[in-house]
Amino acid sequence: MMDFVHGALATLVLLTLVKSAPIVYAALGGVISERSGIVNIGLEGMMTGGAFAAVVASYATGNAAVGLVAGVAVGALLGFVLGYGATKFKVDQIVAGMGINLIAAGGAAYGLVLLYNQPGASPQVHALGRWYWLLILFAFVCAFALHHVLYRTPWGLRVRACGENPRAVTSAGLDPLRFRLYAAVISGALAGLGGAFLSIGEVNIYSEGMTAGRGFIALAAVIFGRWTPWGATGAAVFFGFFEALQFVLQGRVAWLPSEAMQALPYLAALVALCGLVGKVRAPASDGVPY
Amino acid sequence: MGLVHQHFELVGRLRVWQNIMLGREPRKGWHVDANAARVRVAELARRNGLPIDPDAYVDELAIGIQQRVELLRELEREPSVLLLDEPTAALAPAEIDAFFGTIVQLAARGTAVLVVTHKLQEVINYSKRVTVMRHGKIVAHFETAKTSVDEIARAMVGGNLPDVAARAATAPSPCFVADGLFAGESETAIAGISFAVRSGEIVGIAGVEGNGQTTLADAVAGMIPYRGTIHIAGDVGIIPQDRNKEALVMNWSIVDNALLGRQHTSRVRHGLLLDRSVARADAQVIVDRLDVRCATLDVAVKTLSGGNQQKLVVGRSLFGEPRFVLAYNPTRGIDVGAAALVQSRLIEARNGGAAVLLISFELDEILAVADRILVMYRGAIVGEFERANVDRATIGRLMAGSQ
Repeated sequence: MMDFVHGALATLVLLTLVKSAPIVYAALGGVISERSGIVNIGLEGMMTGGAFAAVVASYATGNAAVGLVAGVAVGALLGFVLGYGATKFKVDQIVAGMGINLIAAGGAAYGLVLLYNQPGASPQVHALGRWYWLLILFAFVCAFALHHVLYRTPWGLRVRACGENPRAVTSAGLDPLRFRLYAAVISGALAGLGGAFLSIGEVNIYSEGMTAGRGFIALAAVIFGRWTPWGATGAAVFFGFFEALQFVLQGRVAWLPSEAMQALPYLAALVALCGLVGKVRAPASDGVPY
Repeated sequence: MGLVHQHFELVGRLRVWQNIMLGREPRKGWHVDANAARVRVAELARRNGLPIDPDAYVDELAIGIQQRVELLRELEREPSVLLLDEPTAALAPAEIDAFFGTIVQLAARGTAVLVVTHKLQEVINYSKRVTVMRHGKIVAHFETAKTSVDEIARAMVGGNLPDVAARAATAPSPCFVADGLFAGESETAIAGISFAVRSGEIVGIAGVEGNGQTTLADAVAGMIPYRGTIHIAGDVGIIPQDRNKEALVMNWSIVDNALLGRQHTSRVRHGLLLDRSVARADAQVIVDRLDVRCATLDVAVKTLSGGNQQKLVVGRSLFGEPRFVLAYNPTRGIDVGAAALVQSRLIEARNGGAAVLLISFELDEILAVADRILVMYRGAIVGEFERANVDRATIGRLMAGSQ
């Protein structure tokens, strides 16, 4: 019995790290874009884009590292689309983000048929293998780096000012739209990395719907973490824990249907956010076109 | 060139030094050199005689101090020309004197300072030269030493100031009665206020800002809970203090804003639907009556000047001739011409038999318009004067809290 508990605990800890990493990446992406004033509801689509692109590139080259780079690049590209639309054309950021979600999901589904002639899932490709533990570690390095950049560098100060009051940035003789665009691109790159981790890190295929709302969970983590890198990271690990818990309990608790268990992380997100109503404040100009 | 806007362009959740040094951050390697920045801000503040705590968060500072931050930010760039847009709009009287003290010193040290303001007394007190603009054109230049408030005012309105409407004799009967009113908390609470406003009478409440006027206005308007009784005979028109937050939807058209608050009345309804043509006609009446200057009735009210926005609010409140009118600083932040028009409309409402409660921080306004004056101090009524035997000096003393 003790062995079983030990085994389950060890599994739970490791699985929490594995399940957290992609959410951490996407949540950090959410933090930087929202601190600059762009609501990134397209995180989910950017993860999907990254996950699919990573598989395609890995399949084509036989090299998982190339896949990883492709995932980041496609995420960044989608981030650029959002950022360019939000700054140059002042589109509604919610609509643009939703559009990215739909295009990414639809594009990946179409790509599966077009490239591999098999709907639903890709063929197996080269995955990252052992490197994937490094990628988990790197998520926390990114959190550290983002914290440092936002709070210690001139660039970070300006990005934060853009999210609060872009007019102040203009008064200072700088162009807030440039900071927002860069922030959106970085946001997409991080979400794309999170997506690539899902497809060629954890497994070695792309299957439709594999992001399973993690982009939205990441959005919840951004709010739960009060728009700070470490806060969002902590929240992402919190949600990752429930996802891991769900896996560990699967098949061990007979009286609870498995579908109910799968809902655990989402339930955790819902409860966490409800507890925060009225207690958190977004950047003042978050989501307001300038 | 440095520009200080009427609406501050600061980042509330950043510190003072971060706001001032934004875009010109001193660096140490990749980092912002926070210590160097603090030292520079402290030195800048000392040199200009504008004391400030570099580490304070801007949104925790009083409005006057925030403006100091905005000014320091511009001064950090050592501008040769400094442009100030309505710099005293949000300042208390004592802050205004201190503010202009600094500005005058700055000018003495060789900075050219351009102040845009509608407050003529400031122009007379502090400027060297005056330029008057009307309808987007320059209409007059004066040497300040050789001109007067009256002359500038005439140039602003293009002729003599409209006379404030003559008051007619009315037959007063009680319309508004407040009895033993308690509301609010701590410093701005009101405690046991009782007074009445009769039909055909304007009662002015004089007092220094922050003595419970806002609490009283909110209680009368029914926006906050209160103890005691308020009795109002007839319908009510309210001119709130803050047209931005309490009166207008800035992104909506003049027609829609003119309709707000009356949208449920049978006049503008066709069964379940709004009668747009009646709403439009009403908006036109309001615009004509209050001389609201606008391109069309469909422009968003945010494109109107502050004075025209206020005239729209006043026109809407007086539309349909309400029996009781609550006017809270109805001429705050608008030019003399618009202010005279608003005051005239209030007097006309009174002549038409309305009971008007005028709460204002401008004693001159109350003296010009009110039939009866109550003085408010620390949430209580401390004096009452009939128009016939007003003593300005006594009112001033009561407002300041001495007997």
